[in-house]
Amino acid sequence: MTEFLELESQDGVRMPWNVIPGTKQESAQCIIPVSAIYTPLKPLPSAPPLLPYSPLRCRNCRSVLNPFSIVDYSTKIWICSFCLHRNHFPPHYHSISDDNLPAELFPQYTTIEYQSGEAGQAPMGSNVFLFVIDTCVIEEEIGFLKSALTRAVGMIPENSLVGLITFGSYVSVHELGFGMIPKVYCFKGGKEISKDQVLEQMGFFAKKPKPTGVIAGVRDGLSQESIARFLLRASDCEFSLNAVLEELQKDPWPVPADQRAARCTGTALSIAAHLLGVCVPGTGARIMAFLGGPTTEGPGTIVSRSLSEPIRSHKDLDKDSAPYYHKAVKFYEGLSKQLIHQGHVLDVFACALDQVGVAELKVAVEKSGGLVVLAESFGHAVFKDSLKHVFQSGDLDLGLASNGIFEVNCSKDIKVQGIIGPCASLEKKGPLCSETVIGQGNTTAWKMCGLDKSTSLCLMFEIVKKESPDAITQSANNQFYFQFLTYYQHSSGQMRLRATTLSRRWVAGPGSIQDLIAGFDQEAAAVVTARQVSFKMETEAEFDPIRWLDKSLIHMCSRFGDYQKDSPSSFSLSTRFSIVPQFIFHLRRSQFVQVFNNSPDETAYFRMILNRENVANSVVMIQPSLISYSFQSAPEAALLDVASISAERILLLDSYFTVVVFHGSTIAQWRKAGYHTQPEHEAFAQLLRAPTDDAAAIVKERFPVPRLVVCDQHGSQARFLLAKLNPSATYNSDGPPVHGGDVIFTDDVSFEVFLDHLQRLAVQ
Amino acid sequence: MSFQVNNNNRPPFPPPFAQQGPPGPQQGPPGPRPGPPPPGVVPRTPIGPPQGALGPPNAPPGRPSGPTPPFGVRPPGPPPPGAFSSAGPAPPPPGTRPGPFQSAPMNSGQVPPPSTGAPGPFSNGPPSGGVQGGPRFPSPVGMQRPVSGPPSLPSGPPSLPSMPPSAGMRPFSGGLAASPLPGPAPLAPSFASHSQGVPPPPLGSSAFSAPAQGPQFQVSPFGSQPWSMQQRQVAPPSAIPGAAPPPRMYNMPGPESAASISPAMSQGPSKIDPNQIPRPIPSSSVVLHETRQGNQANPPPSATTDYIVRDTGNCSPRYMRCTINQIPCTNDLLGTSGMQLALLVQPLALPHPSEEPIQVVDFGESGPVRCSRCKGYINPFMRFIDQGRRFICNLCGYTDETPREYHCNLGPDGRRRDADERPELCKGTVEFVATKEYMVRDPMPAVFFFLVDVSMNSLQTGATAAACSAISQVIADLPEGPRTMVGIATFDSTIHFYNLKRALQQPLMLIVPDIQDVYTPLQSDVIVQLSECRQHLELLLENIPTMFQNNKTADSAFGAAVKGAFLAMKSTGGKLMVFQSVLPSVGIGALSAREAEGRTNITAAEKEAHKLLQPADKILKTMAIEFAEYQVCVDVFITTQTYIDIASISVIPRTTGGQVYYYYPFSAVSDPAKLYNDLRWNITRPQGFEAVMRVRSSQGLQVQEYSGNFCKRIPTDVDLPAIDCDKTIMVTLKHDEKLQDGAECSFQCALLYTTVDGQRRIRVSTLSLPCTTILSNLFRSADLDTQFACFLKHAAIEIPSSPLLQIREQMTTLCINILHSYRKFCATVSSAGQLILPEALKLLPLYTLEITLDKSSLMLLHLQL
Repeated sequence: MTEFLELESQDGVRMPWNVIPGTKQESAQCIIPVSAIYTPLKPLPSAPPLLPYSPLRCRNCRSVLNPFSIVDYSTKIWICSFCLHRNHFPPHYHSISDDNLPAELFPQYTTIEYQSGEAGQAPMGSNVFLFVIDTCVIEEEIGFLKSALTRAVGMIPENSLVGLITFGSYVSVHELGFGMIPKVYCFKGGKEISKDQVLEQMGFFAKKPKPTGVIAGVRDGLSQESIARFLLRASDCEFSLNAVLEELQKDPWPVPADQRAARCTGTALSIAAHLLGVCVPGTGARIMAFLGGPTTEGPGTIVSRSLSEPIRSHKDLDKDSAPYYHKAVKFYEGLSKQLIHQGHVLDVFACALDQVGVAELKVAVEKSGGLVVLAESFGHAVFKDSLKHVFQSGDLDLGLASNGIFEVNCSKDIKVQGIIGPCASLEKKGPLCSETVIGQGNTTAWKMCGLDKSTSLCLMFEIVKKESPDAITQSANNQFYFQFLTYYQHSSGQMRLRATTLSRRWVAGPGSIQDLIAGFDQEAAAVVTARQVSFKMETEAEFDPIRWLDKSLIHMCSRFGDYQKDSPSSFSLSTRFSIVPQFIFHLRRSQFVQVFNNSPDETAYFRMILNRENVANSVVMIQPSLISYSFQSAPEAALLDVASISAERILLLDSYFTVVVFHGSTIAQWRKAGYHTQPEHEAFAQLLRAPTDDAAAIVKERFPVPRLVVCDQHGSQARFLLAKLNPSATYNSDGPPVHGGDVIFTDDVSFEVFLDHLQRLAVQ
Repeated sequence: MSFQVNNNNRPPFPPPFAQQGPPGPQQGPPGPRPGPPPPGVVPRTPIGPPQGALGPPNAPPGRPSGPTPPFGVRPPGPPPPGAFSSAGPAPPPPGTRPGPFQSAPMNSGQVPPPSTGAPGPFSNGPPSGGVQGGPRFPSPVGMQRPVSGPPSLPSGPPSLPSMPPSAGMRPFSGGLAASPLPGPAPLAPSFASHSQGVPPPPLGSSAFSAPAQGPQFQVSPFGSQPWSMQQRQVAPPSAIPGAAPPPRMYNMPGPESAASISPAMSQGPSKIDPNQIPRPIPSSSVVLHETRQGNQANPPPSATTDYIVRDTGNCSPRYMRCTINQIPCTNDLLGTSGMQLALLVQPLALPHPSEEPIQVVDFGESGPVRCSRCKGYINPFMRFIDQGRRFICNLCGYTDETPREYHCNLGPDGRRRDADERPELCKGTVEFVATKEYMVRDPMPAVFFFLVDVSMNSLQTGATAAACSAISQVIADLPEGPRTMVGIATFDSTIHFYNLKRALQQPLMLIVPDIQDVYTPLQSDVIVQLSECRQHLELLLENIPTMFQNNKTADSAFGAAVKGAFLAMKSTGGKLMVFQSVLPSVGIGALSAREAEGRTNITAAEKEAHKLLQPADKILKTMAIEFAEYQVCVDVFITTQTYIDIASISVIPRTTGGQVYYYYPFSAVSDPAKLYNDLRWNITRPQGFEAVMRVRSSQGLQVQEYSGNFCKRIPTDVDLPAIDCDKTIMVTLKHDEKLQDGAECSFQCALLYTTVDGQRRIRVSTLSLPCTTILSNLFRSADLDTQFACFLKHAAIEIPSSPLLQIREQMTTLCINILHSYRKFCATVSSAGQLILPEALKLLPLYTLEITLDKSSLMLLHLQL
């Protein structure tokens, strides 16, 4: 396991198969696809130097010079490892020699970063934050939102540009640059409005004739002043922005008791996109939407205003009886196209007890690489701390970057099927593109409008090499190469390129299975499977995830397990595979598969996070970690099983979205008795404190900030823990639970039963 | 009653004449608003006098240049005789210039269809000012034109009678002034003279006869008089002796009656002596008018005089007056007279300060007593019978049970014993407190919304600043209290609303950029209680000119802005005051510079000139109807320096009961004070909101049509989003059946409205007039001011649809028809060339001339109607 982590810390890449099944047929038999989870901006401990020059590229395939290239120092020629093209070094590399290598050729710098362009080049542009605020919420929420935003505004870097849009029944675009009195442009919420209309109606060309053609920022004749009416440097508009926020009021339009507020989220977002598209196209800009309820007006509507009509559920979506759903998704698809074209990001902070339409918004958020936070209220720590996190600087900052383009190069026997993750296909077709498309495919380049240091893409590959007689001769060079190139606008405003080049051995033939097993990364495999199953559930009609997962698992076990045919008891798995059944078991029970426990919004939210997180975090989502604290021992990992519950233990469950501190019944009694406040029980106080501190540490680092639940055994909140545990003891179990233990009221099968069945089926 | 004007100088004018005219402008407040305005406010008449009352003439009576002599002249013109005879009204005599002379008088001579016998031409130039009451109309000019006119006549052989005779006559009239001549009125043949200039047969037959009472009318000898141009020059035809003594004006005070003039007959020159031409003469004394005397309707004093009314059963003439103070029993009779039967209703007219206030009657829960059939309101003319247990409706004749709680015994005179204690039984005008039945919702608050043009032009000309300053000053005059709500918006190519809610530190500007599909950005805080936003508002008004000083937007979205403001006011209704400086060029109801288009195509422009007075399209009309439905009244203050297409814009105020104020060309130096004054009067004058008006009449007559600034959705009622003391509505009547001679005929105007302080009231004015079968009675009781106002209104209504020329002719024809009828049926035999004027209508020709002379005033008038 550790070797995979080392590889990850060098390149930010995890692959289920680190030894690659070398032929199409073999890869098909491997069940888990050849894939890679790549975190382009992962901070790497062996910090690669930032090279102040442009990379050297192969003239044929545009790949970047890397440690795997073969260099002939005497003739000053390098051979591209992907296309084997011979390239001459340019004059400024003339001093290259065996002992005078440029950094990109150092073997340990398989991942390296260039800050191209002329040194000291002015930053492309400052970051832009356009706040889009829902005012159709109760006064109390408005208050929470105000204070959170005021704090956030204070943290915005001074040179960033800031704009403000509020909406309810109407969309109000605030002209922060108008000094005399607060001034807003109001647009009717129910009406879709085009970019041209925005240009015309907001007076961008009041003083001169409108140029023909596409209007895009200053270059196309938009004056700086007219942009500065709406987007101001944070330092210039802090006062007016705060004044507006201070007076932010609930949407004044009356709402009948039996109706929802008229909320035109779609129109507001569309206007925000137009505004950014008009003013700052091509510059890193974020639309930060703060939503307090479902869209009920205009494009993107998810539910009618009548309260008698419930908001769509998974059941409605399944039965196709959600009348607004497809229309709304279509609208947001359009919006996402626009955002991608402009290079802008949509972040959504959805804070409501109701659904707000994240399921519909997903496409726009995910494709633009936006952040998403789902909370119950603007007053909730999940929202407040997450927002703070966004603007935080220092170690914990998100490392927000923008305007990224991601490209892939790989050896000729490999094709790219696509990416499951927060990016959008640029439809740049090439010989590398596979016929089979998964996720964002049909391309070798993707747009990542927004990305941060934890953004992780899951690339799906297809091995196209045929089983051929000369396979053995080929084994002379049995390496596959991959190169990932990420261009992005760093938060400093500079454009950078990070190049990661990988080499993986491939095997084929009868004896290869042990090699494959040795190179198998089961965590990465679980995460890839989770992304795959989520993706299939969203895109394939009539898809049965449980069946699909079971089948995959059984096939995998039959192929890679050790057993005698038809003898379940003889079944065993190598340590490389040992946890796979457990992962799959928990994945089957997770929120990604068991969607009916959640609203479509929550599911969309969970999946969006899954699709952007790295392997470690994703694994926590699939199979939460459980730590037990007791007087008997130091904190130790506990089995994710109901059996781990004990009256004298404190359990800390981290399921990524929630962190649960669970006090056993005795501990809870002691705490209630206040022992921890007594000096003679300092040890108990420490015991109580330990999990809370650990939880705080988790909460602090994570984005979105997880929900922290502190509960006691048999308390109502304990469900957050119980839902995640393996139901080895249920109300159906024979025999009572051990003293202080617990049972789970469920008919779900326990892991033991699951494993039993698996063994039986695998050996058939 | 009969009045003859002789061509000659001779006919002496009776002195009363001099006193009889309406008061000149010098005499205090202009006629239309007899009462003093609230302190400090100078009432201002809008462009034209909506009141319909004739204003005082501007010309001082003694002016030598006064009446036009041209009349005498024009007939003899050079035009070939043939042209005369055949021309008819339509084509102006050759060589006519549109000058003061206009063809009108001439035509009038010829106009009369040959068959009827041509009435003589005549017309005195009524001072246009008299009509307007406002300073905008250059009445003196009208007066003077004639003088200069004659010489310029191309045909005008020296024959023009004007000069010499006028000189001669002046002293004459002066001399006569002292002594009323009861004697026979000499006929003035002069008018006829022109016709005689041409001997064609039809003319001959049309001579004016003496004002004989007899119905018979002989062709005057004039026909035979050979009149040549030369003749005229040399010797005016002798006056025809007046055959009939001028009857006293019915019920008129002495001096009035004296007004009937019997000009000495003379055979002399065929010219009219300007001095003899009747003209309004202001009277300085205040008249005390009782509306009924001896159980008989008392004809009202001239609208232009200063009078104090005592309501003794009929409503004050300020509220309602009829064109004829006796009602013809039959339609035929009315037709014969050539006059029209119409009421001018001004339900909230300002009273004279010395008049008793209107009494308010509260019937409590049950509401006012009404006829159960026609829904007429209880009034002094309802007859109680059967010991008071039942009453007969004077309007429909139905017999109703008296409500128990309203029962009262009858006295020996057949009246209820409590008749004198109950205002509704003894006063012509009372106000009833309306019950819930009369409300579809709670009475609306007094909402004032100001909409100010801030387009580039408006700022540069100072119009925006003037408007803001006027509004700012006027705020202090708005009624205090929680019921007064205000709002403000500005607009250029977008609309800017302001959230004036006090909680906000500063007003918030809310821009509505979509001017094709307008909306109001806020439901509530755009219109706020005055007390809550006074400071905000003042500050804002102060800032608006600065805020927009760099505005480079030249476009104006007037239609969209008005619509937006309307939407903001929709829930309450109220008054919307729009300050507009440029042609609305964008958004809903955008207009084009039609007049400029016209200029490029001159021929079309000439032919279709009146089309420019029609609204460009129906969009604004449709909008206006919607506004009216939601009780929004729009006043438009036009402060412009260019063409702005008032014809289209004015549709909105016209339909919503508002009015147009026109400052052209706007001057930042002189107009702001006027603008302020107008605005102040507009909002401080007595007024009401969400009003509905209906006029009922006795059986036998019915309302034919209402005209004025209002919206009509059902034929019987008039919807007035707002009504104020200056608004008058003309109600034309028609016969259903024959009325009974000797009976009385009643008219009742009921106005249901909400007062500024939020009370729902019904103001009921009842007028009962005698019926008559005698034609001369009609002439005797004709009300000149009212008649002429109706003339004007009709003309103004016509203007957009007919060429101006034609309208002038129509007006002249109308005048001629009346006089002709009078001459034909009521005057004693007189000489053919003599013009005979009924006493009551003696100024009609003068007024008619004036209006036909002044092109612009006619057009402007149109705006007011």
